[in-house]
Amino acid sequence: VDDVTVRVFSIIILMVTLVLVALPTRRKYWLRKIQAFEVVPSLSGLSIESSRPVHISLGSAGIGGSSTLVALVGAEFAYHMSERVAIGDMPPVITLSDPSAIPLGQDALRRAYYAHRRGQMFRPTSVHWYPSGTRSLAYAAAVTSLMGTDHMSANVLTGSYGPELALLLDTAKRHNIPSIAVSDQLEGQAVAYALADHRLIGEEAFVASSYLSDEPGAARKVLAIDVLRLLLIVALLVGFGMKLIEKG
Amino acid sequence: MRFRPGAITASALTISFGFLIILGLLLPENLEDPSEIQEISSGFAGVMLQLVTITIGLTIILGIFNLLAVHLGRIIRRGDVHRQTHQASRVYSLVLLLSFGLVIATYLLDRDTNTILLEDVQFSLESALAGLLLFALVFGAYQMMRHRVTLTGILFVLTVLVVLLGALSIDSVREIRDLRDWLMEIPVSAGARGLLLGIALATLVTGMRVLIGIDRSYRE
Repeated sequence: VDDVTVRVFSIIILMVTLVLVALPTRRKYWLRKIQAFEVVPSLSGLSIESSRPVHISLGSAGIGGSSTLVALVGAEFAYHMSERVAIGDMPPVITLSDPSAIPLGQDALRRAYYAHRRGQMFRPTSVHWYPSGTRSLAYAAAVTSLMGTDHMSANVLTGSYGPELALLLDTAKRHNIPSIAVSDQLEGQAVAYALADHRLIGEEAFVASSYLSDEPGAARKVLAIDVLRLLLIVALLVGFGMKLIEKG
Repeated sequence: MRFRPGAITASALTISFGFLIILGLLLPENLEDPSEIQEISSGFAGVMLQLVTITIGLTIILGIFNLLAVHLGRIIRRGDVHRQTHQASRVYSLVLLLSFGLVIATYLLDRDTNTILLEDVQFSLESALAGLLLFALVFGAYQMMRHRVTLTGILFVLTVLVVLLGALSIDSVREIRDLRDWLMEIPVSAGARGLLLGIALATLVTGMRVLIGIDRSYRE
């Protein structure tokens, strides 16, 4: 496939996405139940009642690289979780290993406290940066000790993780800390599926705001992804059919 | 509706910069007679991407300040109800700050010691942790079956067993090795592609929402 074809297809895909995202709709959509989102109110309630912090992690997601949007959706999840626990006396702890995500994490926390007019409770040092080292193992080691010393009430691990996620989830299990986990990396996703109490799969992490926000039209994002998925399936089937005809 | 100049400026900047960079990246670069718009947009995209890279490089300083502030705070902070673990947390933070100072000092005074600290201490510890990953994963599979025996759980554990046995270099497990190769080439590859395509579609939609200002993360 030559360069021009790639560019033309990119422009078509961008246009279709733009139309799907921007199209106004008044219909109300019912979203299918996803257990990881269903437990968010109970996990935030647990944090408030037990006066123990929720641990939210973005992993190695950061701004500027391929994980930029993963960092953004992780921060959005962090905002919704923090906004729920902001009425309590124990601020959530956000950990990350990419320094470019520090402002994102701090902003999510700040917005959560200001949403409840409790801006004076916001502490920038509730966001902890731990350098990642090779394969993010140093980060995993630091966070596992943090889980033990800070008596976390729950873990929300939505970001970019490799197999080191196993160390985090294993420690959470040993401390009886319920966990929600998802990763944009395949190894991390497999570990999340096996070890997390509540897991999100693939693109489910990207629709957190649709499930956790009360804003009208929040479900449109899910609709756009579903329509694009449908179009992709049709394109794949057409491509498969054309190949078959070519060979036949 | 409240008028917020800051939010409007942020949205306007994000939308205009985003579309200019997309334009710069999508327009062909090696045309014989590039138009003025093409030259401007691709030049602008290049400069902006370089600026982003430099800014991101500088965030490491922000990270170091955060690290020091968090751990100094943990040492100074008064104990809570969990006195024993608070003491442990203080010790960890103290060790971290001392190590930080030690690495800076050895870097300035004696580079060889600094290399030893990095290669013989840091790398060895990380390798040991990497070794522990296997046990965490096997324990995870065990936990999965202990809590609830489901069809997917059984399938997961069976797959783990086949992959682990198939990795052995013994002739008697040739059939298992063939099965492992088939698993990796067909179902695993298909599943992985499905997952990655789903993530790519969601990334596309999220990116577009940020670009046209529907996602509010930077506007409040």
